[in-house]
Amino acid sequence: MGRVGEIGTIFRKEMLEVGRDRKTLIFMILLPVVLIPLLLQVTMSIMGDAQREASAKVLVYAVSGAEGLAELAGPGFRRESVDGGEGAAVAAVAEGRLDFALEVKPEVDGRREVLLHYDNASLTSKVRERVEDAFGEMSDRIRGERLVGLGVVGKARQDALLRPIAVVPSGVASMREVIGEQVGSTLPFILIVFCFLGAMYPAIDLAAGEKERGTLQTLLLVPVARWRLVVGKLLVVFVTGVVAAVLSLVGLGVWLGLQSGQLEGALGEVLGAIGVVDLSLIGAMLVPTSLIFASLLLGISIYAKSFKEAQSYIAPLNMLVMVPAFMATLPGVELDLATAWIPVTNVALAVKDLVKGTMETELLVIVFASSMLVGAALLWVSTWWFSRESVVFRR
Amino acid sequence: MLEVVGLSKSFRMAEPKWRWPGRKPVEVVRDWRRDGAWFHAVRDVSFTAPSGAVLGLLGPNGAGKTTLMRVLATALVPTRGTALFDGVDLTQDPTAVRRKLGFLSGDTGLYERLTPREVLRYFGRLYGMEAKHLEERIMMLSATLGMGGFMERRCGALSTGMKQRVSIARALLHDPEVVVFDEPTTGLDVAAAETILTLVEQCRREGKTVILSTHHMHEVERLCDAVVLIHEGTRRFSGTVEAMREAGGGGALDRAFLALVSTTGAKGAATEVTRG
Repeated sequence: MGRVGEIGTIFRKEMLEVGRDRKTLIFMILLPVVLIPLLLQVTMSIMGDAQREASAKVLVYAVSGAEGLAELAGPGFRRESVDGGEGAAVAAVAEGRLDFALEVKPEVDGRREVLLHYDNASLTSKVRERVEDAFGEMSDRIRGERLVGLGVVGKARQDALLRPIAVVPSGVASMREVIGEQVGSTLPFILIVFCFLGAMYPAIDLAAGEKERGTLQTLLLVPVARWRLVVGKLLVVFVTGVVAAVLSLVGLGVWLGLQSGQLEGALGEVLGAIGVVDLSLIGAMLVPTSLIFASLLLGISIYAKSFKEAQSYIAPLNMLVMVPAFMATLPGVELDLATAWIPVTNVALAVKDLVKGTMETELLVIVFASSMLVGAALLWVSTWWFSRESVVFRR
Repeated sequence: MLEVVGLSKSFRMAEPKWRWPGRKPVEVVRDWRRDGAWFHAVRDVSFTAPSGAVLGLLGPNGAGKTTLMRVLATALVPTRGTALFDGVDLTQDPTAVRRKLGFLSGDTGLYERLTPREVLRYFGRLYGMEAKHLEERIMMLSATLGMGGFMERRCGALSTGMKQRVSIARALLHDPEVVVFDEPTTGLDVAAAETILTLVEQCRREGKTVILSTHHMHEVERLCDAVVLIHEGTRRFSGTVEAMREAGGGGALDRAFLALVSTTGAKGAATEVTRG
């Protein structure tokens, strides 16, 4: 049997075992396909509910200070009187009995200040926004009446007086770039994290697990070069990483499909505009990424004495993967000749550019080549470790 | 035939690079095999095991038997010396040695998510066996070892005895010329142990060289044509079972064994007894 045949035998056997392992299947299939849509749906639903609730809530308030200001209009506000003046009203806001308190200052030269006391620590609160809107309308009305009093009649004349110069924004970026900037930031993060998670469990099982179960010693006695054993196993870890990443995309697609009624057509337009070539390149980016993760995880797993020890080494590694992937989501971090050499970050940035349609060929080549080099170097380390007695029979 | 020539295996001891301030160094157990940063697990062991014979490898726990067998099985590389498997040098061509060798240990694990048939096919392919020959061997071993009833069940669901039978089939699948059994009956009930002992006898009849490591003296008396006693990494006795009994003062074999391993004095002071 040739080299490929031996590697193929190991690959097929390990894939068969992976396919029969419930834990691996959960990490590889269930987590990306079910968890992503579920998480997104729950998050969106909670955020939407909180927003709706904050907008629809009747805000209870109290007023202190100078009178003469009209009541806040509309059914969204209810005024209550609080004994004890301004201090008591502010205390009531702090205790949550009132949503806000207004402290109206006397009018000076036709201008009146209204102090708004509200809970500015609440992230979902819409108090300030709604009060400003209400006073904005009131302010517009008074300004209109005053301008009419001064003889400036008609909205066009009033606008010309108040805003003689108006800036009209006109973005030149295509819709694909604009939405790609947003989608492209989260997409690589999801791909990378799930690629790592998908590869993690099989990597532990295939080396440290074999040590623990006492099957590794038997495997080391077969007349097959150690590097072929490692490559056979690595291919399995690599495939599970890629499958998990692709399935995370499927999960994302399922969620987008479910949301299609609520989504703007632009998102569909962007996904359509990415095209087969760029989608294939995004898929190709998974190759070096999964190779890096598979080699790294398998190397650690070979070193570990037991399943538990491997898990304890790999748990902090999660952060090492997430941080560079997260870096790519930060505003201002772009793919250039420097970032193209940073493992994992470069792939995340390249995927972002591919989604936006702004990828430069030479940078793409650097990202691919440098990542493949890192993956190959890590594979070499794994193979070297696997041939060392002190590692394989570590006590 | 297996010839072991001056085989030694040493390990570099892992020393902690640093320790917490105030923490005392770990007390090292006194052992003359420890030499600075090195631990000499097996030192200058030689013996010959002919074809069609069972050689018992005896010694107390920690004697160095497992290390010696791991070296013979090519899992470890000897520090000095070598072993010749029908003339093939272990240090020169370990891959060729692996084709000639079957190894069975009492703590050998199986792939729990695979069936015995899948396990055997996997190893058969890795040994480069031709498909038709492989299926014939599987069928033959399955019949010999009475595995027909559980060939399609996952290994994880098998009893200890069933698993051990699968391990035996795996070790003998490629029809090796030399078979090493490392405490193969440990933890087995009488019936399962008997299956293995019968198989050892069968291997001898088939002209294979059998190395049997065991703590059970009744197995030695029943099966072994010769014994090699290892203690503290060195060979302390080599000869027939009867010769060992005599060297140990006569009487029961386990008493003779204890007498031979208790002749350990100062570093390397024990006298080796070689009787034919």
